[in-house]
Amino acid sequence: MEVKKIKFDKHTVKKLLTLLMPIIAFGVLIAVFCIVVGAKGYKLDRYIEIIFNQGLVLAIVATGATFIYTLGSFDISLGASTLFSAAVGVMVYNSTHSLVVMILVIIIVAVGCSLLSSTLASVFKLPVFVTTVAMMSVLSAISATIITKNGGALGGISIPSSVVKPLDNMGFKIAMLVIFMALCVFVFEFTKVGRRQKFLGANPFCAKLTGISLNKYAIIAFVMAGLGVGLGAFLTLVYTPSVTPTTAGSLGMQILVAIVFGGMPISGGPRSKIYAAVVGGFSYILLDNILKILIQGNAGYGISQIISAVFFLALVYVASLNYRSKNLPR
Amino acid sequence: MSETEVVQENTIPLLEIKNMTKTFGPVVALNDVDLTVQKGDVLGLIGENGSGKSTITSIAAGMQKATKVESMRYKGKDWAPSSMLDALDNCGEGAHGIGMIVQESGTIAGITVAENIFLGELDQFRVFKFGPISRRKLNKAANEALEAIGITNVRGNMPMAALDFQSRKLVEIAKIMLKDPDVIVVDETSTALAHDGRQILYNIINKYRGTEKAVIFISHDLDEIMEVCDTLTVLRDGKIIRSFKKDEFDADAIRTSMIGRELQGDYYRSDFTPSWQEEVVLECKNLVLGDSLKDISVQLHKGEILGVGGLSHCGMHTLGKVLFGAVKPQKGEVLVNGTPVKNEAFAMKKNIGYVSKDRDTESLALTASIKDNIAIGGMEKYAIKNFLIWDPSEKKYVDEQINNLSIKCSDRNQTTGTLSGGNKQKVVFGKWVGRGSEILILDCPTRGVDIGVKQAMYQLMLKLKEEGKAILMISEEMPELIGMSDRILIMKDGEIKKEFIRSAELTDAEIINYMI
Repeated sequence: MEVKKIKFDKHTVKKLLTLLMPIIAFGVLIAVFCIVVGAKGYKLDRYIEIIFNQGLVLAIVATGATFIYTLGSFDISLGASTLFSAAVGVMVYNSTHSLVVMILVIIIVAVGCSLLSSTLASVFKLPVFVTTVAMMSVLSAISATIITKNGGALGGISIPSSVVKPLDNMGFKIAMLVIFMALCVFVFEFTKVGRRQKFLGANPFCAKLTGISLNKYAIIAFVMAGLGVGLGAFLTLVYTPSVTPTTAGSLGMQILVAIVFGGMPISGGPRSKIYAAVVGGFSYILLDNILKILIQGNAGYGISQIISAVFFLALVYVASLNYRSKNLPR
Repeated sequence: MSETEVVQENTIPLLEIKNMTKTFGPVVALNDVDLTVQKGDVLGLIGENGSGKSTITSIAAGMQKATKVESMRYKGKDWAPSSMLDALDNCGEGAHGIGMIVQESGTIAGITVAENIFLGELDQFRVFKFGPISRRKLNKAANEALEAIGITNVRGNMPMAALDFQSRKLVEIAKIMLKDPDVIVVDETSTALAHDGRQILYNIINKYRGTEKAVIFISHDLDEIMEVCDTLTVLRDGKIIRSFKKDEFDADAIRTSMIGRELQGDYYRSDFTPSWQEEVVLECKNLVLGDSLKDISVQLHKGEILGVGGLSHCGMHTLGKVLFGAVKPQKGEVLVNGTPVKNEAFAMKKNIGYVSKDRDTESLALTASIKDNIAIGGMEKYAIKNFLIWDPSEKKYVDEQINNLSIKCSDRNQTTGTLSGGNKQKVVFGKWVGRGSEILILDCPTRGVDIGVKQAMYQLMLKLKEEGKAILMISEEMPELIGMSDRILIMKDGEIKKEFIRSAELTDAEIINYMI
């Protein structure tokens, strides 16, 4: 059998760099994080747990959202959907005292919110992100009303912590992440649905003339994203059994950044990958925490945001290196 | 200026390239190539897809940079344009640089025709400095630019997206000609144009011939290039193989230089007997759609190649889309084996395949791999329970199509956008033929492909016909229609004007009479 030797020319190096950059960056961030935490004299194991809990929800919601991003679209309302689902979940638990019912309702509400966005876009022939902007405002407002009306002076609503305490452990959370990721990888890589999603993202005109319905696959993408939101909302309650109007407030934007951090092209298409959400989600949280530890105080927030933005731009640039020089002039 | 200097200036070539190399990753597109363009010349560049014709001209026109070049001189001075605009505008007093009309779309869809023509130069139409743009002046200037080259049916205020492929290409020509370049590169443009559009292009070329200017004309149509050009240079695998003067033009010699061997076997069909089976597999009844289709009824039989020809705006391209269910007619119906076609997905279920004229936009996802493009059409063939994708089966399916169609690629994962025009078209064929389409609607199937690939496609079509498959071939090339079709329908202004049955006596002139 002929063994194909890999030639390490400029082209191959660029390709490999594009592919491995997010994973290398993730590794570097872990190393830097450990050094920074150690240098400050903080407890590393405790900090790792914090990072995991913060990154988990982002990674899970972003994993579901990958389906939307693959189509070349995005959903800015995912944070608001997470908040709304969690708020409704709390209300349902407090009425029924059933964890199972609460989980079911959270998932149904999250998928419903997602479906509503895509259906509105389909009915009114609008770009999906336009309806998600509207949904973000509506869901945030309704959630705030529910929380302030029922939370009173506490400023939030909650379920008894004892209900979710048994689930608040790394094993359960890792299992949830792995199961959801496996489901997404299965749909994305091993079914016709995934193939068609990627092709739609690559060229919607060609996809239409190949019999692929944008509406149908947009709905499937939003259902998958809804499942991620539902699971994310539930895990938010597992970590902190109370919901305030600011819960998951910046999640929508964080997902966008996380997916790009993970090496997925912002335009979607065939180079989309599920692991990008997980790698990117945890990378983002790591970077955010490193900057918070290093730059403390009021000025720190602004500086860390600027550094995050520069990091974001650099990654988008590297991700596009390979693609931009690839096309022949025809 | 002394007499010697005048003589020297007159003998200086317009464009002179020495030892140019261009690589795209591992692909060597140009390998130490020399090219000289003399004043007054209409120089033809011919070669198989991927031979380097577009690459060398696009570098001279500022679209991209060479990887290595000993020298590139324009009008005797060093030449290294930073962009296409730079190549047109920044070459000294009065500009007169190099303009290139590219093979695929070179215009922007979301703006008007006038905005496209004056892209980047809209400031000249401001009512006052920093003020609003005068639409009236802008559209007037655009109309003048269009009329200057003989285009009267396209207006400056029209949205670009509303125009068909030919009109978009003509707007691009008007935009280039507005700059009055001294060298124009016509890259496979004529294949995007029907008879009327080609006449506009040929008029421009004839105006350049024998003057202080020059034309570089790239085409895969040997007859056309021999007719239009004064000299001819053949490229193969990124190298110049041979140059021909007009009196040396010989079709067989040029073909042999192009492909490095003699072309074996038939090009078009060798028989002149029309043949098809009784069974009607696809038909449309009384189709009406605006001015494009006026009461059109067509029947396509099993084992038939039905040609549809006409000028670009005659409605034939729309007919192809309506038959595939991609466009809904206002009246009438399309039936596949007696069942109404509802949409593209339904048409595919009924084994209809559609190859669009606009290959890069409608037939391929350029950023996706060859595998993605071929596999997407044939998932029913290899998906387990018509749902699960098993990677080895998918790869096997794709490799079969790559081998059957001899697609030149590094591997199945190569990005489709990096392929040459002919190989891109083979990928499109692979997508539809591989899935076992029984009915193929092919809109300009050999547009922009070289002679070797064309022959392969014609032979494939013939094989499919012999297997009992039905082909509706929409084409703007008369020899192709005559050479391959059992019947030819000629459309004009949305109506079928004439039906021809295959015969040895059928000529271009006879058909063209019904087109114009």
